[in-house]
Amino acid sequence: MRIREFSILLLLMLGANSIMAQKGLLDILEEEQEEGPQYAMATFKATRITFGHSIETRKKGILEVSAVNRFWNTPSLTSQSFGADKLNTRIALEYGISDRLSTGFGGSTWDGLFDGYLKYRLVRQRNDKEGSPVSVTLFQNGSYYSEGLSVPNVDDNFSSRLSTTTQLLIARKFNSSFSLQMAPTLVHKGFRFSGEDPTNHLALGFGGRYKLGGHVSFVSEYYAVFNPVESYDTYGPFSIGVNWELGDVMLQFMLTNASHIVEDAYIAGTRYNFNFKNPNLNFGFNATYVIHFNRKLKGLEQKRKSQD
Amino acid sequence: MIRATLLFSCILVLGHQLKAQKVIARQGHVAFFSYTPVENIKAENNQVLGIVDLETGEIAVSMLMNAFIFEKALMREHFNESYVESDIYPKATFEGMVLDFDADLSQDQTRIIKGNFSMHGVTQEIEIKAKIGHRDENYIISGTFDAVVKDYEIKIPPLLAGNIAKTVSVDFRFECLPYED
Repeated sequence: MRIREFSILLLLMLGANSIMAQKGLLDILEEEQEEGPQYAMATFKATRITFGHSIETRKKGILEVSAVNRFWNTPSLTSQSFGADKLNTRIALEYGISDRLSTGFGGSTWDGLFDGYLKYRLVRQRNDKEGSPVSVTLFQNGSYYSEGLSVPNVDDNFSSRLSTTTQLLIARKFNSSFSLQMAPTLVHKGFRFSGEDPTNHLALGFGGRYKLGGHVSFVSEYYAVFNPVESYDTYGPFSIGVNWELGDVMLQFMLTNASHIVEDAYIAGTRYNFNFKNPNLNFGFNATYVIHFNRKLKGLEQKRKSQD
Repeated sequence: MIRATLLFSCILVLGHQLKAQKVIARQGHVAFFSYTPVENIKAENNQVLGIVDLETGEIAVSMLMNAFIFEKALMREHFNESYVESDIYPKATFEGMVLDFDADLSQDQTRIIKGNFSMHGVTQEIEIKAKIGHRDENYIISGTFDAVVKDYEIKIPPLLAGNIAKTVSVDFRFECLPYED
């Protein structure tokens, strides 16, 4: 009796042992894998979707040199009709202070705006089931209008020439190719051309990207302004475009109705609707060159040699 | 009779446990290098898992692609986003055999490791020459092999073809300690 019980136990033990032995080596590694938090990488490829900021910031020690251009025709008969009667260019330097905080300064040629911004990545989306389902970035910019004013009844001093834009950028990377962004925005205008114009504008921005291939994505953006300028007609800025990443260079091509490049100017002051009539259609071209000042693994090769 | 069965069972169970002896490396090192006249790219991953069955000579390796650290921060993003697509294929794995492996040999042995390497959804049979050192209970496995980028269906746009080598040299080093279930 005892023997039978014992042999059953023995068989069970042996069975359990052989099941454990059958477990493949890769299965053991699967169990051993300690995965840290997996944050969504590259919700958008660049710090801009087209004209507007994306939730992306650059990592610490990265300097971006960018030339952002908008070309469009004037409606006059003397137009060259080549899409480049007028040109607005913003030359800017943008730098990653830390992995989450970045800043940038730039100047635009056509509208005479000098601007600077701070951007902070508050929340990062996590791909595992825990953590936040969205990424959130805070954005604050200020711009200075440097052109001469010929408008009477405007209090012209330094502070009245300043405008600011505050944005809460909220984005989600739904899968490896599709991302969407929403951007509640508050624009404060330094001066108004008419007393009936609001000082503060509320707007909501929408942006999205669809990855067409490893390096190319299709992007589009739109800002709806809830209380637009009263004294002249404005339209919500819209764009469709393509982002093309080439190693250290990021190229963004777009069709848009926004001639301005600085946030407060294009959100509250886009005077043309989006269609193919001059001067409404703008061709936009952003070129950004990325320089890494903070190089990790600099001594990797030497370290490897000394290890052997 | 009972005593004999007991003894027999003890031997069997013990024998099984000895047979299942494995060594594991939890912080294995894998680095790869791409040298071109335009640009040199280096990346390393110090969290690679490797396990060896000392009895059979079976070996398995598993690494997370997004754990590779690059010299330039943006390269890591491009590597994961545009090349290995780590959203879809998060891991690279290797499963194979150390040929003529002698676990009891106390001096260094150079052996061929033959097996299947899977990356970016593609599995290739590869042979690697590796040096295996044996210190007490620990085994150190190190070596180098070349991986042809094209074999793993990793697309490089023509404009960037000059920046990335067609063959990438891969270095690895695993310090394996005894593994307990």
